[in-house]
Amino acid sequence: MSARDSDRKRELLGLYNEPDDAADAVSRLRGAGFGGTDIEIISATPYPEGAFGEQHAKHRLFAFPFAGAACGLAVAIAWHIGAQIALPIVTGGKPIVAVPAIIQVLYEGTMLGAVLFTVLGVLFESRLPDGIGVYDDRIADGLIGVSVMARERRIPDAQIALEEANAVDVLNKDGSLMRPAAASP
Amino acid sequence: MIKPEAVGLSLTLRPPYRPSTIAISRKGTVAVAVGLLAALGVVMYAVKLFSWGDRAEWAYPAAITLFVLSTVTAAPLVAFASRMARGYWGLPARRVVELFALPSMLLFVLLIPILGSLPPFEQDGVTRANLWFGWGGGAPFLTDQLAVSVMLLAGGALMWFAAVPDLAGPPSRVRAMPAWKRLLFLNWTGTKRQWVVLRTSMRWISAFYLMMYVFVTMILTTDLGQSLLPGWRSGIFPAYHVITSFQGAIALIVITLFLLRRYAPSVGQFIGDEQAASLGKFLIALTLFWFYFFWSDFLLVWYARLPSEVAAVQTNVAVTYIVPFLIAMFGQFLIPFVTLIFNPIRRKLSRLAVVSVVVLIGLLFDRIRLFVASMSSENPFSHGLAELPEPYYPNAIDILFMIGVVGMVAAIYLWVLTRIPTPGGWEMREGAMYRREQKYMHAEVLVLGKPD
Repeated sequence: MSARDSDRKRELLGLYNEPDDAADAVSRLRGAGFGGTDIEIISATPYPEGAFGEQHAKHRLFAFPFAGAACGLAVAIAWHIGAQIALPIVTGGKPIVAVPAIIQVLYEGTMLGAVLFTVLGVLFESRLPDGIGVYDDRIADGLIGVSVMARERRIPDAQIALEEANAVDVLNKDGSLMRPAAASP
Repeated sequence: MIKPEAVGLSLTLRPPYRPSTIAISRKGTVAVAVGLLAALGVVMYAVKLFSWGDRAEWAYPAAITLFVLSTVTAAPLVAFASRMARGYWGLPARRVVELFALPSMLLFVLLIPILGSLPPFEQDGVTRANLWFGWGGGAPFLTDQLAVSVMLLAGGALMWFAAVPDLAGPPSRVRAMPAWKRLLFLNWTGTKRQWVVLRTSMRWISAFYLMMYVFVTMILTTDLGQSLLPGWRSGIFPAYHVITSFQGAIALIVITLFLLRRYAPSVGQFIGDEQAASLGKFLIALTLFWFYFFWSDFLLVWYARLPSEVAAVQTNVAVTYIVPFLIAMFGQFLIPFVTLIFNPIRRKLSRLAVVSVVVLIGLLFDRIRLFVASMSSENPFSHGLAELPEPYYPNAIDILFMIGVVGMVAAIYLWVLTRIPTPGGWEMREGAMYRREQKYMHAEVLVLGKPD
C-alpha cells in the first residue's frame, strides 16, 4: 500500500439499537483519536444537540437571510428611486425621494430577499454530495447510525471502536464488515 | 389533570411511528360535494372575470378573500407559536395547520381582479388617500401581490421543509432519485447537520411568515379598506384585523381538528382535551382582544366627533351595515365570551367546535361590513361622505362565489391531506421521547423534557 493510499479517508458506519450504545461508540471513537467533523450521527428522529457527545453541527444557514435581505434592500432602493426619478411628482411638498414614503417598498424588497435566500440556503446546505457515502435503510427503521471517516491505516481502530460499543452492524461502502453470526438484523 | 392522548405518549422510535396520508375516496359523498363546490368556485370566478364590472362588483369577492386571509392563511402561524413556546400540546396539530399553506395560495389568484379593479391614486388632479404616497412604481397591484407572493413562498417552504423527513423515506430511496428531486427532498438522510439545518430554517421561515403576514394584512386592509371609504382613518385597524384573524385561524383549526378526530382516526387518535384546553385559552384571550381593539378604535372617533370620521363609522358600524356588525359582535365577542368562560365548554373539543363555528360566522360578517362598505363606496377621492350610502347587497353570483371559494379551499386542503402524511411523524416521535407520565406520590404527573 502506498503512502497516498494510507492517507485516503474511508467511511465506516456503525448501527445501534440504543442511543446509549451510539453515544458509547462516539466516546470510543474520540478515545481512539477520531473527532471533529470525522464523526457524524444519522437518525430518523432528531436527538438533542450533543446527546451523543458529538461535535456541534456547523452550518452557514444564518448568513443566507442577511445576504438576501441586503440584496433585496438594494433592489428595492433601486426600484423605488428609479421609479421616482423616472416620474418625479412632488407630493405634499415632500422631497422626490422621501424615506417615510418608501419604507413599505424597502421592507417588501428586504423580506423577499431574505425569504428567497433562506430557501436557497436550505437547498445549498443540503447540497449534493453531502459527504456521507455509506447508508443503511435500517436507520429509517429506528436504528442510530454513527458514521466515521478514517484514514486507511486507522480503519481497524475505527472498526474496533464501533464494534465494541455493541454495534448491530458495521458497514463500509462494500457492505457489512461483521461476521454473519455477529451481525443481527 | 388534562393529559395528552395515551397513544401519543406510547409512540416508539423503533420501529418508528410513521404517519400515513389520509385516504379519501374520490367517489365518497364528502369528496364529491367538496369537488362540486370547488367547481362552482372556479365557474363563478370565471363568470366574474368575463362580466368584469366596476369596483363594487368585486366587493363581496374582496370580503371572502380577506376572510380566507383571516383564517386559512393565518392558520400556519399556530404551528410557529407552538414550536417557539415549546408547546407539546401542539404536536398533533402542527402538520394539520401547516397544510393550510397550500389552500392559502388561492389568495394570489383571488386578488388579481380585486386589486385590478382599484381606482388610480390620482384622478382629475385629485389624489385619494393611500398608503403609498401616490408612488407610481406599480402600487398597489404590484406591491400588494409581491408581498402576498413572499408570504405564500414562506408558507409553502415551511410546509414542505417540515414534511420532508416524513416524505423522503429511507436513504436508498432518496439516493435513487434524480438530482433535482433529491435536492427537493433536501438530500435527506437524517444526519445531525441536516436536522440542525431543518430546525433552524423552520424557525427563520416561520418568523418571516409572521412578519409578512402582518405586513400583508396592513397593506391589503388599507388598499381594499381604509383608502376607499372617505373619512375612515384608523391607525389601529390593521392590528384589529391581525388579532381577529388569529381568532378566526384558531376557530378554523378547532373545527378542522374536531372533524379529523371524528372522521380520520389515524390523526384523530392523538387529538383530545389537551389540544382543546390550549386552543380554548387562545380563543378566549383573542375574543377579549376583539373588544379591546374595537373599543379603542371606536372610542376615539366617538369622542372626537369629526364629521367625516363619524360618517365612516356610521357606514360600517352604526347605521348602513349595522346588521352585519351586530352579527359580527355577537359571533366574535359576546357569544364566545359568555360560553368560553366555562371550563366544560372551553376544554371539550366538540363544544369548542360549536363556538368556533359561531366565531367564523361572525368573522365573515365582520369582513363584509368592513370591505363591502369600502369596495362599494362611490367616490374614494372625496375627503368625507356627504351622505350615508345604502347597503350594497350581494346578488346570486356573489353568494355562489363566496360558497365556491370555501369549496376551493376545502378541496385543496382535502387533496393535500391525501398527499402529505399527517400528523408530523418526526415531531410526534420526538415528543414521545421527551414526555412521560409518572407517579408522584399518589398522583399521576406529566414529566416534560425541553432540550433547547
